[in-house]
Parts: sequence; structure tokens; C-alpha cells
Amino acid sequence: MDYTKIEGTIFNIQRYSIDDGPGVRTTVFVKGCPLKCKWCSNPESQSMEKQLRYRFTSCKKCGTCVKVCPNGAITMGEDGVIIDREKCQLCGTCVKKCLLEALTFAGEKITVEKAFKTVRRDKDYYDQGGGGCTCSGGEILMQPDFVAGIFRMCRENGIHTNADTCGLGSREALEKIMKYADMFYYDLKHMDPVEHEKGTGVDNKVILENLKVVAESGIPTVIRVPVIPGYNDSDENITALAKTVKEIIPHAPINLLPYHKYGASKYKMLGKEYELEELEPLSQERENRIVEIIKSFGIECKVSK
Amino acid sequence: MSNIVNAEEIRSVKVLTPRLEKLKAEWEAAEPQVYVDDTLLFTESWKETEGLPVDIRWARALEKRLLECPILIREGEILAGSLTKFIRGNGTLCAMKPHEILKMCETGKFARKTSDTESTNITPEDLEALKQDALYWIDHMPKVSTVNKAYEEEMGTEVFDLLFDHGMVFEGRGVREKMDRGLFQNYSAYGGGVAQVSQKCIDNGLNYVIDLCKKERERMFNEVDVANSHGSAQFLRKYWLLKACIISCEAFIAYAKRHADEARRQAAECTDEARKAELIRMAEACERCPAEPPRSFYEAVQCVRMYHLVCWKESSDRPEVPIGRIDQLLYPYYKKDKEEGKINAQDAAELLGALWLKIRECENLVTIPREQRAAPGSLLPNITLCGVNEKGEELTNEISWLVLEAMAQIKLSEPAVYVRVSDKMPDEFLRHALDCNVRFGGGNPAFLNDALGTQRYLDRGVPLEDACDWNASGCLGYHLGCMEHLGGGHNINQTKVFELALNDGFDRRTGKQLGLHTGDASKFTCIEDVLDAYYKQLDYFVPILHKIKMLGLATEITDGPMSGLRCAMQYEDCIREGLTPKEGGARYPEGWTSWFGSRGLVDIADSVAAIKKIVFDKEQVTMAEMLDACEKNWEGYEALHQACLNAPKYGNDDEYVDEIYDGLCKKVVEIMQSRIDPITGKKPMLFIGAAAGHISIGKAIGALPNGRNAGDPTNDAACSAMPGMDVNGPTCTMNSATNDDYAREYCGYALNMKFSKSLLNNDEKLDKLGDLVRTFVKRNGWHVQFNIHSAEELQAALEHPENYKNLLVRVGGYSAYFIDLPPELQAEIVNRTMHEVM
Repeated sequence: MDYTKIEGTIFNIQRYSIDDGPGVRTTVFVKGCPLKCKWCSNPESQSMEKQLRYRFTSCKKCGTCVKVCPNGAITMGEDGVIIDREKCQLCGTCVKKCLLEALTFAGEKITVEKAFKTVRRDKDYYDQGGGGCTCSGGEILMQPDFVAGIFRMCRENGIHTNADTCGLGSREALEKIMKYADMFYYDLKHMDPVEHEKGTGVDNKVILENLKVVAESGIPTVIRVPVIPGYNDSDENITALAKTVKEIIPHAPINLLPYHKYGASKYKMLGKEYELEELEPLSQERENRIVEIIKSFGIECKVSK
Repeated sequence: MSNIVNAEEIRSVKVLTPRLEKLKAEWEAAEPQVYVDDTLLFTESWKETEGLPVDIRWARALEKRLLECPILIREGEILAGSLTKFIRGNGTLCAMKPHEILKMCETGKFARKTSDTESTNITPEDLEALKQDALYWIDHMPKVSTVNKAYEEEMGTEVFDLLFDHGMVFEGRGVREKMDRGLFQNYSAYGGGVAQVSQKCIDNGLNYVIDLCKKERERMFNEVDVANSHGSAQFLRKYWLLKACIISCEAFIAYAKRHADEARRQAAECTDEARKAELIRMAEACERCPAEPPRSFYEAVQCVRMYHLVCWKESSDRPEVPIGRIDQLLYPYYKKDKEEGKINAQDAAELLGALWLKIRECENLVTIPREQRAAPGSLLPNITLCGVNEKGEELTNEISWLVLEAMAQIKLSEPAVYVRVSDKMPDEFLRHALDCNVRFGGGNPAFLNDALGTQRYLDRGVPLEDACDWNASGCLGYHLGCMEHLGGGHNINQTKVFELALNDGFDRRTGKQLGLHTGDASKFTCIEDVLDAYYKQLDYFVPILHKIKMLGLATEITDGPMSGLRCAMQYEDCIREGLTPKEGGARYPEGWTSWFGSRGLVDIADSVAAIKKIVFDKEQVTMAEMLDACEKNWEGYEALHQACLNAPKYGNDDEYVDEIYDGLCKKVVEIMQSRIDPITGKKPMLFIGAAAGHISIGKAIGALPNGRNAGDPTNDAACSAMPGMDVNGPTCTMNSATNDDYAREYCGYALNMKFSKSLLNNDEKLDKLGDLVRTFVKRNGWHVQFNIHSAEELQAALEHPENYKNLLVRVGGYSAYFIDLPPELQAEIVNRTMHEVM
């Protein structure tokens, strides 16, 4: 099959994405993730299925969706409509009729070719300062042929590629992507397998094994660590993490991503609970301490803000 | 000539030294005061020169003001030259606008150009004198507007329906009956740069200019000359113009000497040795310059200050005096002083800071209602930096660095700074410029495409050596300093033309048939019908605009003195030709006659896209319903309104609408340039934009199919997207704006973008913004500027203006204090999409 016709499920293509690698970039966010991190700021990325999204702030409570829903899944509540996610068949009738775009779908199927067409539009900007295309998620290892396809088209057109992964996926999937990836953003969360499972639903065994594969390939890699207060920000965990990085992939810098709540409203839009409602952001003091520990291992460390 | 600059040293300078801090605080705390001495002196001189040639009258009126106005040097000042005797005085000339001044005298409220707040401070004696002055001019002004008379003669009174109110089909000069008209009609709402600070005059000294005038006068009697070849009337014209230039130069020299005397007087009384030395330095500078070339960086800066002031006074109280390419002007003086160990970056930075304060402190009274002004909040003393010369050398130097540093630290709304970006500009400098932009906060500097600016002049046949010496002027214009005169322009409100096309040429606002009968739009069956009707309307109006322009200019010239000498003495070509810049004496006179402005093309593209999508593609509503919805301003059509807002919008790199926009731009260029300008023999230059005119034109049109409400402003600048509608990020906005070569045809083609500080909080992110600037230029974009602030900051400023007196925003061709802007403009700036990555 022509690889450019491979389909993938994405939830967004973000232009001028400046936090996802060098230079100006376009990031293709694929949908579906094997981890269920409590702090996930992109909850719409977790399921590989299409999801109905409801934006409270756009809704004028006109009631059109309640009337048109063939499954009786929508009712009018105090603060807007209430969607019965059990009854909803994702038929899209309400989405079509909602002029205010309060009801929309998260997730669309798209071919490699079509995604690349959007990526290519900003080539002039990439060329200026070493930018390019990043594939992120969700988890790219869940759609390896699609992601590798985009990367392959990028390579053939002289566009730099960055693979942003949580590291959980088959070796085969990883190798497909590695073939066309110019760099990796590789996430690490917790060094203790039990704690890792508690926070993400899965232990870290495969993730660390895959990191070794990436390290051996010699592809430039940045380790990214979401720092969640009370979960993985202890001196002990950070020390263990730095030590592991030093052992497996000694030249990789570590990039810290301090926890933020920006994703909270997205949970509401999808009719989901946000478990970390009470959690406060990382203090400056803790942040400094973590940077200090990592640097003590001779590892370059930056904080993304 | 890339000069090695120590970025660390530049960033460590302290521009606001304690004394500048004190001067700035004093200025900020000072109450605006109405200043009348100049207008009274002007009138007195005008009475004294009754019957003399008009150039001489202007020269004498300048001379009288320069020789007799009060001289002020404030404690702690290191540069001399104040517009008025007050810390924050507002000057005016009653001869320009007597009715308005009289009205202000009667109400006791004096409007200022730089702010919406009115000045009420005036002594009873001054108030009475000003009132008498205004009455004198009301009594002595012509009873008929010759411009309007000519329009009426040529086109009948119907033409006034097209022109009468700001924002109808045309905007042009001198056409509004309601607008105040003095003897020397005040057209200051239009037209960019006027007199300019001249590097050549500063470098050579005015004695050189006087000498040139005298030689030229000798030549007139003995050689075949330009003036001779034009016949006897022109001979006398040149004779008197040269005399007027000599009077002006000598008065300027004497004015500087008066400052020297005052400095010496203060020095004699001064007990502080350090201050005494400063005053003596000031006196020595003012004794030498502008008559002779400056000997040092200090003298050069002092000279720039004086030129700005005198150009202002000379240009009929028109303050829009571009400072020009100050880094090129000052650098040789700085380099020499530095090599001799006489100056360092810190000293230079403080002097530039002092210059900034002196330029900013000038204010004048204004008579045009604020929302109708082309550039509310600004006096447009533009500074231009960098650029590539005729040898292909990039000219960024240490003064370019220091000027930006001074701008970022002193945080005053003016002067506006423009950087000419070329592919040869050093990356470190671009980063510095963006960093200063972030620290300044209000969209300063703006970035211009160096190669394109030069190319546009080459396209017009200007030789490379001159073509590359352009600088920013006016709100969004540019010109070749003292080689080219750029006067007023004539704008066509394209959205109005489009609205007429949707209404068979009938104007709902005036209830008159203003345009052609292009057919009942409710019967249109495809989008081509809509576009055809619009192009036909435009084709009908362009010849009318053309006539309006020609007559307007011709009348202006026969009115002669209206605009004064426009600093003819600074234009070597004017001296040789014996004509003022306005009359065509400049080396490149075409700028003043040949530009046509257009406004609202993005609104039209979005409207066409909405009609195409909703009426013809999806067939969701009929054309009749769409038209009715616009007529009723969406009342009863809320759902359609939303659908119109959701239709594809320019600024999102969306081919659906961008292709419409591309086609529209091409066709409009074709129609607008279908006639050669008989004065220049060339195609008219096209211009888009103006800083805030979109507010007034918006008032003249009803709802449009792009979802815009009746009376709302149209889109700002030239190629910015509909506010809040460019939702795909800055690269998409830039792509929409640069899909084709529009900027080569349209000058003023500016893109406003807004960034949140959080997107620019480290060098890496600044470099990414730099990639945007460079790519924009590479894609042939012309002008891009960035407002940098947080949404919370703006919202808070709306709620608590008292706490946000310093919040600067980029409006169009300049930055202004947010709280000084009209409410519509404030709301619009808040609405312009914040390019914030989620």
C-alpha cells in the first residue's frame, strides 16, 4: 500500500508550536494513549475513538441539540446541556446543527498525505531556524505507520522531524518511527515501577527498555519529565531518574515540565472528572532543588515555561 | 560594514540616569498647558508682511517666532530646545484652524493630539489673546473653498455625497464643509511625512545651504537655468524662494544662538561646576550648530533636536516630522568620539534618552474629532534604523543597538522606531530588537522589508544610490528623506464600494443612488455575479477619485502658501528648481501626487467567502436573506450571523478564502492603476491602511456578510485578519498575508500581530519570533509589528485605567498609551487574537 494513503486519528495540528523542539514547528497530535496519567493536560488524546466535546462557554442554551439528537442523549441542565455518554452514538447530528460550535468532535481520521500537506505549509519558517515537524500525542507508538509515514514525507522534503513519545509501545513500532525521526522527545515519569503504575496505570519496564533502543540508535534525544508535586518530585525519585538517564543515555539533556492546570477545563468538556483539582503547582524552591540535583550528575537541565 | 558590537555593554547601559528620571517624572506630572506665544507672533508677522511675496511672508513668520519666542532650558537638561515655554505646552497656529480654536476658547477645553484628555490650563490673558487671534483669522479667511469650488465646477454637487462625510466612498483633502478651514487649510489628517530632519544639512551646516542659495541666485542672472526656462513668472518665484530659504536658515542659526545665550546666562549663575560645564558644552554646541558641521556626537544629537523643532514650527504647525535614519546620521560622530576616547556607550545612551524626552514632550492642539484622525495618540516623529546601502553593505551599527536600548528603557510612546530587516542583518541584532520590543511592551520597533522598500523605488526608476536611502514616515508610509516629498493622499473606502455593489449602487445611509446600477443583488446566482458588481462599481469610482485627486492637488498648489515652505531649504533640489517640495521641487516629486489608498480588502474577501459558502455552496440561506440580514444588522438573523462569523476567514492559511483575497487584490490593483497619473506619467502608487482610519470608515457602512456589525470598525492595518478570527497561529496569519506579491504594489501593507509575554520569555523563543520576522520578509511581506502583553493586563487596564497609565500598545504605524485611545480602538486591540499556544 502507498504509505501516503495510510490513515491515522489525530485531534489537532498545531502551527507555530514553539515548545515542541527546535525552531518554528508544526505538531501533529495523534489520538490514543496507553498511559492514563492523572495529570494529563490533553485528556482528549487518551482515547483513540472520536469524542463529543462540549464547550460550556460557547453555548447559548438554544436547545437545538436537545431536539435533534436521535438517541435522546442530550438534556438541558442548569449550566448548559448534559450529555448521556452511554446513549450517545457519536452520530454527529448535534455537531452539524450547532451554529455556535459549542458541540464539536475531538478526533478526525486523516491520511499521511493530508497531514503532511498542512505540515508543509510552514516550510519557509522551518528553514529559517532549524524548525520542522513534531509528532506528539496521545502516543505516537500507537500509530507507528501513520507517524512514520508523515516523517518519511518530511524527510523526502527536507523537513526536520521530532518524535515525542512516552516510550510505551512495541519495539517494532519504535523502530518504524526511528527510521525517519531526526530527534526524540522521550518522557520519563517515575523510576519506581509500582509508583509508575499508580500514576499512569502501567509500570515502566518497557519504557526503560525502549529508551535503551533509542540510545543505541544515536538519534539526538531530550528527556522530558512532567514534574507533579507530591508524585514524582521527591529528591529520591529525581536522583534515581538522573542516575538512570546518565547510565542509559548519557548525553541527553533533561527538560522539566512543571505541572500546570491548563488541561482542567478540557476534562469538563469531555464529561470527565479531573482528579487533581486540589493540587497546587510546583514551588520555585522545589524546582530549583530538582534542577540542582540533575545538574549534579553533569546533565544539562532546562525548565519549560 | 558590519560593526562589532558588544551586546553585553549595550544591555548594561542605564538610559534613565537620575537626571533623566527626574526630567521624565516632571514631564509626566506636569499639567498640559495651552501655549499661545507662537500663534500670536505668527499673526503679528503676517500683518507686518502684508503685500510681500508669500514665500517671504512664511519665512518672516518663522523668523519672528524663532527670534521672539520664549527660550526654556530646564534644570538638569543636557539638550536644549523646547517647543514651548511650559514643561508640557500645547502649541497651535490659529491661522490653520480658527473656528475650532475659537470653539475651544469658548468651551475652555483644548483637545490634544496625543491624548483624549483635554487640556484646560490657560491663563485668562492668554485665553483672551487666543480668542482674538482666532477671530482675526476667521475674519481674514477666504469665504470659499477653492478646492470645493473646483469639485463642484467639474463634477457637480453630487461629488460631495461621495466625499462629504469621513468614510464615505472617498476620503481626501479639503472636502469636508464641516471641517475647519483657515487661510492655510489644515489638512493634517492626511498625508504622511512632511519636512524631515536632513542628514545632509546637518553634516554640511546651514552656512553651506545659505551659500548654495546665494550662488544659485547669482546663477539665475547669468546662466540658462531651470527657473529661466520656465518663463518670467517662475524666475521671480525662484528669486523669492531663495531669499526665503536664506531668511529661514539665518533665523534657525539665530534661534540656536538664543539657546546658547540662555545656556551661558545659566552657566554664569551656576555654582555647581559639573552643571556649569554641561551648560557651556550646550552653549558651544548651539553657537556652532546648525550653522557649521557638528564636531562631536553631542553636537550632532543637539543638532537633531533643533532640526526636529524647527521643522515642526516651520511646517505650519504640522508635527509629523520624521527623524529619519538616525543611526546612519549619528554613527560617524560617535565612532570618531569613541576612537578618541571622548565617549562611551553609557554617555551616548543617556544623550539618546535625553533626545527621546525632548521629542516626546512636544504636543499640539488638535481640531479633528479623535476617531477621525489618521493616527490618534501620535505625532509620528519616526526613526528608522539599519538597511542595506547601494554597495550591498548592511548598515547596522552600535547606534542602531543603542537607539533600541534607549527606546526599551525610557518607555515613551514616541518616537516610533522602524527597523529595516534584510537577510544580511545580524541575528544578534534582530534578537536585540525583539528583546527591546518585549521590554518596551508596546509594539516598538516595527519591522520593514529592506529589500522591498528599495525595490519599490527601483520599480519607479529611481537609481539604486537614492532608492536605498528610504525611511519611514507618516503613520504607515515611507519616503526618500529630503529627496522626495510625500504629501497627502486620497483613499477609497472599498467596503463602501462593496456595500453599494450589494445594493445596486444605492446608499442606505444617505438614501441616495451613489453608485452605478449593477443589478439587484438578491437575484445574483453565483459568487462571480457579486464580484462583477463590485468591480464594476470600483471601475466607475476610480475615474472620479482620479479627478478629485488632480483637482485637489492643483488647487493646493495654486493656494500656494497654504503649506508653507515645507523646509525647502533642506531640499537641495528645491533650491535648484526654485519650487517648494509641495510644488514638485523635490528630486522625486511623484510621491506627493500619485498615491491612492484603499481600505477594507480583507473585509471584502471574508464577506465574499461567507456569501460563497453559505448562499452558493451550502445553500443554507438565499441571497435575499443574506442582504436582509445585513440591512437589519442581524436582527432576527442571529443564527445566520453566527454562521457568517464561522465562515472561512482570512488569516488562517485557509485556501478557500485566501484564493478569494488573492484574486481580489490582483483585480483591484488592475482597476486602480488603469489610469496613468498625468502629472508623473506613471501608474499611481497604491497604498493600503493608515493607522486608525478603519474606525471612521466603519461608521459609514452597515453590517457586512463577514459577520461584522453595522458601524463597527473594519479590519485594522492592511493585511491583519478580522479581530479574533485568526485562530491558527501566527504562521497562518503571515501566510494569508504573503501568498502573493501584494506588498510590491501596495505600500503601507502592514500586519499587526499580538503576542503574549509568555510566548517570549527566553532567548530561544525570541529567536523563533525572529524566524517569523525573517520568513515574513523572505515571503515579501512589507511591515510587521508585534504587540506584546497579556490578556489580563489589557482587561485590567480597561477596568482600572488609573493603574495602567504606562501601558503601551501598537496601534498601526505607531505605539500609543492604551488608556489614551478611543474606546472602539481599545476594544479592538483586546479582541485582536492573542497568539498564545495552548
